[in-house]
Amino acid sequence: MFNNFKLSLFLASKSMMRGNKSTQLLIIFIMSLIFVNLVFIGSIFLGVTEATNKQVINSLYSNVVIEPKKDEKYISDVYSLEQKIKGVPGVVGISSQYVTGATLSYKDKHGTWIVRAINPDDEMKVTTNHNYLIAGNYLSKLDENEILLGKEIAGGYGGDLEYNSLGVKVGDSIDVLFDNGVKKSYRVKGIFDANFIQTNVMAYISRNDMESIVGLEDKASQILVKTQDNGNEDRYIKQFLEMGIKEEIKPWTVYAGMVKNITNSFDMIAMMISAIGLFVAVITIFIIVYTSTISKRKQIGILRAVGIEGSIIIQSYIFQALFIVISGIFIGLIIIFFAIKPWFIEHPLKFPIGLASLLILPEKVSANAVSLIIAALAAGFIPSWLAVRKTIIDTIWGD
Amino acid sequence: MTRDEAANESLIEIKDLSRIYTMGEVNVRALNNVTFEIKRGEFAAIMGKSGSGKSTLLHQLGLLDAPTSGEIIFSGKNISGLSESEKAKFRLSKFGYVFQEYALLPELTAIENVYLPAMALGRKKEEYLKAGTEVLGNVGLGTRLHHRPREMSGGEQQRVAIARALINRPDILFADEPTANLDSDSSKQVIELFQKLNEETGLTILMVTHEPDDIKYVSKVVWLRDGELAEM
Repeated sequence: MFNNFKLSLFLASKSMMRGNKSTQLLIIFIMSLIFVNLVFIGSIFLGVTEATNKQVINSLYSNVVIEPKKDEKYISDVYSLEQKIKGVPGVVGISSQYVTGATLSYKDKHGTWIVRAINPDDEMKVTTNHNYLIAGNYLSKLDENEILLGKEIAGGYGGDLEYNSLGVKVGDSIDVLFDNGVKKSYRVKGIFDANFIQTNVMAYISRNDMESIVGLEDKASQILVKTQDNGNEDRYIKQFLEMGIKEEIKPWTVYAGMVKNITNSFDMIAMMISAIGLFVAVITIFIIVYTSTISKRKQIGILRAVGIEGSIIIQSYIFQALFIVISGIFIGLIIIFFAIKPWFIEHPLKFPIGLASLLILPEKVSANAVSLIIAALAAGFIPSWLAVRKTIIDTIWGD
Repeated sequence: MTRDEAANESLIEIKDLSRIYTMGEVNVRALNNVTFEIKRGEFAAIMGKSGSGKSTLLHQLGLLDAPTSGEIIFSGKNISGLSESEKAKFRLSKFGYVFQEYALLPELTAIENVYLPAMALGRKKEEYLKAGTEVLGNVGLGTRLHHRPREMSGGEQQRVAIARALINRPDILFADEPTANLDSDSSKQVIELFQKLNEETGLTILMVTHEPDDIKYVSKVVWLRDGELAEM
C-alpha cells in the first residue's frame, strides 16, 4: 500500500517537475483565480451583510429595543426602568426616545419623516451617528428649537433621495408640524450622514423639547439598550424578563426586516456563484487531466504492460490534480490576504446600506478550499479511471 | 536444477489458443488453435507475414490481452484465468517487455525508466538504484544514466527499454519487433545483446520479427500463417 503510494507520488512529481512549466504555471494561476473568486464572492456578500447588520445596530436600534406594552402608546416610569436596566452587567448604554412622525417644511418644500427626541448624552452611548456629522454640530441636552437632520432630509450632499429633500443648510429655519398638530420652528443645528439610508431619513431633536410639545414627562416611545457584545441579545432579553420588565422587549434583528431579505438574497446569490465556481473548477481540472491522459494514453498502456497497477496510475493523476489545486489555493490565499483584503480595507464599497468591506471568515475559506480539493479528487479520478479501464492493447495501440 | 536440465523444462506452453476480435458484426479470427511450447533458456522468434497473428500471439503469451479460448501454461501453472491485478503482478515479476517504439516515459531519465518496475515490485531504494545502474552498464549505457529519452538515439532508447525489461530478472523476455524502428547498426546491436543475454544468463527470449536475417541468432522459429501455426 505504502509502496503504491510512493510510486504514484514518484510518477506524479516527475510529471509535474519535468512537464511544461509555463503551462503548469498558467493552470495553477487559473486555479488560484477560481479559488479567489470563490472566497471573494462569499466574503463580499458576508461583508455587505455584516456592514448592514452593524448599521442597524449602530445607527438605528442598538442591540435591544424596549417598547410599550400592548395597547399602550408610551412606556411609563421610564426613569426607574432605566435604573433597573443599567444594573444588568454588560449593558453599556440606554437611550429613551420619543418617536413621532412630523411634516418638515422649508420655503415651498416639505415632506414627512420620522423625528426622534433624544437625550443626546445618552444617545451617544447607544448609536454612533454623532460621529458622522457632515455639517454643523450635534445636539446638546439643553438645546431648544434646534434640530439635527439626516442628509436625505437636508439635501445637497449627494443623497439617493435628493428629489424629496428640503434643500436646507445649517442655520436655516424650518417648520415642523408634529402628529399631534403642534407646529414649531427649528434651526438646523447639524446634518449627518450615517452611510445608511434608513438613518439618513430621520431627524433628531432634544427630549426636553419634545416633552413640552406632547405634554408628557417620564415617558418614552422606545428605549434602546446597548450591550457590550453583539450576538448575545437573547441572553440580555432573558435577564430583563427575569427582572420583571413587562414591556415588549425585542432584539435588533426584529427590525432588520428589509435588510434581512437583502442578506438572505445575498446568501443565496453567494451560494449559487460558489456552486458555479466549483463547477468551473471541476470542469477545468477534468479537462486538464483528461487532455493529459489522452496525450499520455500510450504511456499509460506501457506502464500497465510492464506491471504497474491501474490504481497507481490513477493515484498519480489524482496527486497531480491535488498539486495543481493546492498550489492554486496557496497562491489564492496570498492574493486574498496580501492584495484584495488590504485594498478593500482602504477602499470599502459604498452601498445605500452603508460601507462594506470583505468579511473573510476562516471557516468559509476552509470550506471553499476543501470543496475545491474534493473537486480535484473527482476531476483527477474520472478521466484517469476512464483511461485505465480500457484494455492494454487498446490503450497502447488503439485509435 | 542444472542448466541442461533447465533447458529441457517447458517454461511456457500454449494449448489450442484462439483469439477472435469482434469488429462491428464481423468476427476476425486472429489466432486459430495455436499449440506450441517454449523451453526455458530458448531464444525463439515468431515470424510470418503481416497480419499473420505474430503480435497477437505475443500479446496473449505476455498477458497483455486475453485469449478467446485455449490455455497458457507458465511453469506448470495455467495463467490464462488470472485476474487483472494478478496479471499485473505476474507481468511485473516474471515477464520483461521490449516494444517496437521503445515505450519510455519522456519525463523520466534513463535510470528512472529502468528502475520503475523495481520500485513497483517494492525493492529498496539503494537496491533498485544499484540494479538500475548495473543493468544500464550491461547494455552499454553506463554513462547515460541521467539522460532523458529525447536526448538519446533510437538505438540507445531501445537499450534503455531492454534494461527496464531486465531489472526484475524476468523468467522470459517478450520483444515485439524490437528493431523495426532502428537503423542496421542499432538493430544488430540490439539482436546481439539479446543473443548475449540468452547465452550468458540463460534468459528465455521470445521475439516477434519480420527480419529474415534474425533467424541466424535464434534457436527456434515459430512460423505463423493466417493465425495458424505453419511450421516450427
